[in-house]
Amino acid sequence: MVIHKGSTTKISFSASKVTYLLEKGEISPVEALDILRRQEEELIFRGEEKSKLLLEQSLEELDALVGLEPVKTLVRELQAFVQVQQLRRLEGLLTEPLVLHMVFMGNPGTGKTTVARILGKILCEMGVLRKGHLVEVERADLVGEYIGHTAQKTREQVKRAFGGILFIDEAYSLARGGERDFGKESIDCLVKAMEDHKDNLILILAGYEGEMRQFLRTNPGLHSRFPIHITFPNYNLEELLEIAELMLRQREYQLDIEASREVAKILKCNIGTVVENPGNARLVRNIIEQAIRRQAVRIVKEENTGRDQLMTITLADIQGGEK
Amino acid sequence: MKECLVIGKANVGKTLFVINFAEYLGLDHIEVKISFPNGFSTVKCYSIPQARKELTGLGAHKTRCLQSVHLEIPARKGRKKLKITDTTGLMDTIHQDVEIRRAIAQTLNVLRQTDTIIHMVDAHNLYMSEASALLGEIDYQVVQFAQMRGPYCILANKMDLPGAREGLQLLLRELPGQYVIPISALHKRGFKEVKAFVSRCC
Ligand SMILES: Nc1nc2c(ncn2[C@@H]2O[C@H](COP(=O)(O)OP(=O)(O)O)[C@@H](O)[C@H]2O)c(=O)[nH]1
Ligand SMILES: [Mg+2]
Repeated sequence: MVIHKGSTTKISFSASKVTYLLEKGEISPVEALDILRRQEEELIFRGEEKSKLLLEQSLEELDALVGLEPVKTLVRELQAFVQVQQLRRLEGLLTEPLVLHMVFMGNPGTGKTTVARILGKILCEMGVLRKGHLVEVERADLVGEYIGHTAQKTREQVKRAFGGILFIDEAYSLARGGERDFGKESIDCLVKAMEDHKDNLILILAGYEGEMRQFLRTNPGLHSRFPIHITFPNYNLEELLEIAELMLRQREYQLDIEASREVAKILKCNIGTVVENPGNARLVRNIIEQAIRRQAVRIVKEENTGRDQLMTITLADIQGGEK
Repeated sequence: MKECLVIGKANVGKTLFVINFAEYLGLDHIEVKISFPNGFSTVKCYSIPQARKELTGLGAHKTRCLQSVHLEIPARKGRKKLKITDTTGLMDTIHQDVEIRRAIAQTLNVLRQTDTIIHMVDAHNLYMSEASALLGEIDYQVVQFAQMRGPYCILANKMDLPGAREGLQLLLRELPGQYVIPISALHKRGFKEVKAFVSRCC
């Protein structure tokens, strides 16, 4: 292979300058192609560096989420799969069609939306989606009140999501009301949009695991159209405490020892007893936001509030309600 | 529609390949869109035998412009459409004829934009010449350029001629890791694999 390491020809020429010199007979076809190749390499290198950096940032963002280990593994597998398919296409090898519509199953507050948002960015940086933004909708955004209204509303949301992800929360509610309900029309409209805009849109159906499984069972056509299923586990006590700490740190607050014991106690009780919403990061946020408000009421009356006091949440701030 | 560019040195068989490949895919005449380096373009219709007679032949640089033919490849769902473009033969050195230099500049311009690159070499000629002159320097440049682009394959042509097998062996040794399809453009041999390749790319 001819190696042009020490090549002296400039690559700062524009491509049209190169062809001009070639036409003039000032450079040979070999030299011309050499310059064009090195220009291309430059461009690819710069583009790659930038998107690699962004991709890494998004993957780091994913890793920084507390817990969610199986979800992280799946997203990484997905990322690797997409990348390999792209490489295979470059080599002219057979490729699997990239059908990336997904079902996210899990309780509220388990990170479904957050993961969807990061996934949008990852797929955008990998060149799968053009924009990678997330459009979050629910039944009321899709289903209308009279005939024809639903198709129009659904299409509107689909259009907003072009180039990104359409995230349908509590998707099973579209099947509510049976055959004559407009939800059915919305589902048909979504399915059509998925076919028409294959390369430009990813749909994510999200909701409680039980309801989602039931929904997919009763709409067998959907099952094959949404090949990727991700189950979001509930957070355990340790993870919930970590989330609490993270939330406080981001807001520049801290718990004193008693307060932190109390938070652990509340979370522990809830994990055992609140059946419909166990392991829920929203509970953590509620506790913390209430505590922050109570702390404010408590210290605003005091004189000489120092930095420490401004930052510290005490037992009294936590107690007095966690719901 | 995806474009597939056929590129290589003069007389390796690019033009004959495009015509015979069209015939192999079931066409009995071809509509050739001819684009001249000055930007002017026209469409000419040929029967296959007429095209072979008028467009190919020894004698340097029969082809002095881009000649595109639209092809359809049967696929699982309907047909895949593809534009295959024949180009002016490349060479290592500066040609004395300005018309040919322009045509080569035109070829390199589309090379930068095309989806798929089919790089043709003359396997029989490889054997005839010394190892040092195995491939033109321009062939190595095309190989390197194509690495950064989309689908790429090398067609080792004229496998019907004596010595071509040895030439193919030399070629494979010289360019390890490249996807090489041995063919005879004249006898339409190896076209099945070429068809599979292009249909994966479009
Ligand atoms: N024996 C043989 N001759 C071929 C083959 N392919 C092309 N040729 C001959 O090679 C010469 C140049 O072919 P042409 O298609 O004009 O080459 P181009 O300059 O690359 O377009 C013609 O005389 C063709 O008949 C082949 O597979 N076998
Ligand atoms: Mg020709």
